[in-house]
Amino acid sequence: MFSHLLLLSIAAPLLAAVVIASGIPVRFAKSVAVFGFSLPALIALHAWYHFPVGIGGDYAYLTAYNTGLHELGINLSLGLNGISLPLFVLAGLVGLAAGLYAIQSGAERIKTYLALLLVMQAGLMGVFASVDIFFFYFFHELALIPTFIMVGIWGGKDRGYAAMKMTIYLTAGAMLSLLGLIAIYVKSGAENFDLITLRHAVLENGIAAGVQTYIFGLLMFGFGILVSLWPLHTWAPLGYGAAPSSAAMLHAGVLKKFGLYGLVQIAVPLLPSGAAHWVQPLAWLAVAGNILVIGFITIAQRDLKQMVGYSSVMHMGYAFLGVATLSSVGAGGVVLMMVAHGLSVALLFLLSTSVYHRTQTFDLNEMGGLAQKTPVLAAFFVTATMASIGLPGLANFWGELTIFVAAWTFSPLLTALAISGVIISAIYGLRAAAKVFFGQPTEALTKVLAAQPATDLRWSEKLPALILIAALFFIGFWPKSLSNPLNDALESVYSAKVITAAAGQ
Amino acid sequence: MPTTVFGFSPLLVALVTLLTPLASAAVIALFLRRQGSIASLVSTFTAALIAAGGLSLAYTGARFTDSADWLTLGNFTLSLGIKFDDLSALMISIVGVVGLCVHVFSLGYMHDDAAKARYFGGLSIFMFSMLGIVLADNLFMIFIFWELVGFSSYVLINHYHEKQSAADASKKAFIANRVGDFGFLLGIIACYYAFGTVNLSDIAAATVSIAGVDTNVIALLLFCGAVGKSAQVPLHVWLPDAMEGPTPVSALIHAATMVAAGIFMLCRLEPLFAISPLALDVVTWIGAGTALYAALCAITQSDIKKVLAYSTLSQLGYMVAAFGLGRLNIGHDGLPTSAPLLAGAAAAMFHLTTHAFFKALMFLGSGSVIHGCHHEQDIFKMGGLSKKMPLTFVTFTLGVAAIAGLPFLSGFYSKDAILHLAELNNFPVFVILFITAILTSFYMVRMWKLVFLGTSRSEHAAHAHEGGISMTLPLVVLAVLAVVAGYTHGPLSVYGHAFDGVWSQIPHAEGPGVLVMSLSILLVGAGSAFAFYKPGSVDTLQTKSPAVFGFLVVLKASFDGAYNWYVAKVQQRFAMLLDFLERIFLSGLIIRGLSGVVGLVGIGARALHVGSLHAYVYWFLAGAAVLWAFAGGWLN
Repeated sequence: MFSHLLLLSIAAPLLAAVVIASGIPVRFAKSVAVFGFSLPALIALHAWYHFPVGIGGDYAYLTAYNTGLHELGINLSLGLNGISLPLFVLAGLVGLAAGLYAIQSGAERIKTYLALLLVMQAGLMGVFASVDIFFFYFFHELALIPTFIMVGIWGGKDRGYAAMKMTIYLTAGAMLSLLGLIAIYVKSGAENFDLITLRHAVLENGIAAGVQTYIFGLLMFGFGILVSLWPLHTWAPLGYGAAPSSAAMLHAGVLKKFGLYGLVQIAVPLLPSGAAHWVQPLAWLAVAGNILVIGFITIAQRDLKQMVGYSSVMHMGYAFLGVATLSSVGAGGVVLMMVAHGLSVALLFLLSTSVYHRTQTFDLNEMGGLAQKTPVLAAFFVTATMASIGLPGLANFWGELTIFVAAWTFSPLLTALAISGVIISAIYGLRAAAKVFFGQPTEALTKVLAAQPATDLRWSEKLPALILIAALFFIGFWPKSLSNPLNDALESVYSAKVITAAAGQ
Repeated sequence: MPTTVFGFSPLLVALVTLLTPLASAAVIALFLRRQGSIASLVSTFTAALIAAGGLSLAYTGARFTDSADWLTLGNFTLSLGIKFDDLSALMISIVGVVGLCVHVFSLGYMHDDAAKARYFGGLSIFMFSMLGIVLADNLFMIFIFWELVGFSSYVLINHYHEKQSAADASKKAFIANRVGDFGFLLGIIACYYAFGTVNLSDIAAATVSIAGVDTNVIALLLFCGAVGKSAQVPLHVWLPDAMEGPTPVSALIHAATMVAAGIFMLCRLEPLFAISPLALDVVTWIGAGTALYAALCAITQSDIKKVLAYSTLSQLGYMVAAFGLGRLNIGHDGLPTSAPLLAGAAAAMFHLTTHAFFKALMFLGSGSVIHGCHHEQDIFKMGGLSKKMPLTFVTFTLGVAAIAGLPFLSGFYSKDAILHLAELNNFPVFVILFITAILTSFYMVRMWKLVFLGTSRSEHAAHAHEGGISMTLPLVVLAVLAVVAGYTHGPLSVYGHAFDGVWSQIPHAEGPGVLVMSLSILLVGAGSAFAFYKPGSVDTLQTKSPAVFGFLVVLKASFDGAYNWYVAKVQQRFAMLLDFLERIFLSGLIIRGLSGVVGLVGIGARALHVGSLHAYVYWFLAGAAVLWAFAGGWLN
């Protein structure tokens, strides 16, 4: 029953993209797109619900397909372990929400837009379902290329510059990561790119500490660019500010997690002593750069979408700090954080766009009082803000908390600095909510509203938002649903041997 | 000890009590958004159920602990659990009774509000969060619900969200609380690593055996949480602003329960503080400072709710100071005791209890006044309400008498316990609290006289009227409690033996000295206010002594002024500066990559080619040195 579901979750959106590209009428294209986005989400939920307990770090639903490249050590091998499962679910849910939001968006050339999004969605499902690190990388590229195109064509202001900058940065990051991944393969002495084989090979033969150091350095900066590690982050706010909402949702929500996932699933467990060499600079960049500097920069933003973009960069600081603790608590916190952040940032991009449709501006100083016209939109936005600033009861709290707990053993000073970020995020989050929704409308907004009265969220906008909100609440109330399989996998992937190797430095 | 509560297991009753308000909030949010009246009934019914559940748990003597793992990652486990002892039984009773009164009162007060569903949904989510704090058996769980009460407070302060002042106040409250929570969370994590647990009972057990660990820092970090939530100086600024919320909310959240959660949390951690003497001293002084400062601020307020808000600050300071006074090694008979009395915590909880009743009474009374006067809140525009609103007048007067410490009312006993303890343990603090007590009766009588006596000074006050039964009944219930809540035992006691674990630790002073002290406080404070203030449309103090009045106003404004200056001139400018650097330096230079580097080299080259022979020589020497170093392998 399960054997080909993971493949189907990748194939279905691709197939839908092909069908849409073949030139069917728009209304059929929309139905096909609904199918293409729903199926991966359903498969993800199905895989989550049936995920076997007690398999440790092993992969469930493992299936291999011969691609004719096995001579090169490359196989399409799909499966999920406790670390990839949460992200696979994230990709499914955010994909569905972004897809549904795109379908109702009324974008120009909507068929091309949907087809590109579907290709992106296929890539996302593939990234987290791949056990083979070649395909892990390949699917990332598959998802990345449509992003550039979408920013370039459907983007907002500065889209040309933003698309170019994103392309340069992300390509550079991806190249560095690819070098690192290949280096792991070569140095491990394994006969193929399969992560399971690699893990065995590394455990048996080990990679010399000095070699680990430079490979981890490549991966850290490669993945770091992709995840917007300070000061390599500048593509992110610009890119997200310009990207069309669904592309921003998918990229900030899911694709960006590729780098962190690579660090947690591949780089740290395979290169523990290399990681140990780099953790101090990594943690300091994360805390001083991402959390504090970017935190303050976020406070200064006037553009709602840029603010969300910067806040996303800031939150990546917590994730990097969690990675730097080199512990299973920290790694688990990073995974929880990735899922929660993915859901909440996607929700914020979605709602920001819905705000824009009503205010005709992203400028926070030209809004105000919108809650009087759109109470549901306001309630959703406050929920999303509260999620993003780590309110308990919503998913983000668990990730932040466990990262803080893990960070204390690493460095109480950095923990204190990182926790001060919760004040910063409360400041910019609540300020934005208040500027958009509360008080009285500004003169500029009054004019806009006079010309085009604001209506509350339509169901077509509500539905994708509700999917994300429901997921945030569910994980917020029931973190075990993710942490049980996750912890299972961490105990074996972050085994005592790995942790000792990391501590040995 | 019975193992069941009316035939149900205590755990089940506690869980139903805890989760019903969550369900109520969810139902209102999902289905009753446009059905305000139904929503208000659902929420009020829930509050009745909480009161019933809480009181039956408390009075049937069910005391238990239970917990379940909620999240496990590696060696870290976070559990949710219930610790139900006499302390939490007392707190759940207060929350239940005051909560129900406020819900019933709100039925009348908020009857015509357009966003009634949101209001009552907010109350339900607040009740859920507050019960979570009360029942929690570990610090992480307290923190979770701690943040949630902050959120519900945010939502309810922001109820009139079209008012800019309400929007600002809610934001300020949340952020000020977050500042406190920063320390609180750090303290919890430090505690987790110092004791290996965050379970309250386990921490208490560990404090006995722990040696050589300095717990002062941990205790102070945890205290930060209380400073934020219980609005102690310097984080007190949010509470007066929080009066932007509907008045019943002020009664429930910003007087009786949520702001008292800080004191409750401290009492939960009494054993930890008992081994941290330095931290206890800080706690006492912060509390005493807040008590005095807020009492001084209250004297010049003209908004009836602001008077009550500063009074709440001051009384919270009283409780915090009481907690900080710590244990007592002298028994009631004046002889050393075998086991020390947990006097500070018990006195704090005692005052928390009586204050919850009389302050909720006065806030609801002020709500009744505001409602009767068509939303007039300026006490200088009231006057003569004793005849228009006799029931409100009588109940409010009881509240004023209770807080002023009129003998045999509740405040007399609880304030006295604190003063007595202060006299024994810390005389300077005793002096401060004594002065505060005089000021308390002074500003209270001032307000009472201006509102109720004399003649009406505005159209609204002239046409004031009593609210319906839903607004008067809670006043009567709370007035009765404000009278009798001071009797912890004996025929007038409403407590039975349910809270003996707390009450037995209260330090009691006996003899006529107590009565004399209380009466002198009352005579000096209340008497002078009664004689001094004349009903009129301006503050008598302002006309008679502008200097004193001006000083008090400046004193009150100083903290807000400092914070506003910090936010506008420091924080915002720093943020703008970083943003500027980001745009110029990172986006301009690093992003543009090569072209940026070429540009930089160009600038550098121009600087180098200054045409001076000396410069070329220096650069030549520098270059040679670098080459030499490289060749020598020193750069590797």
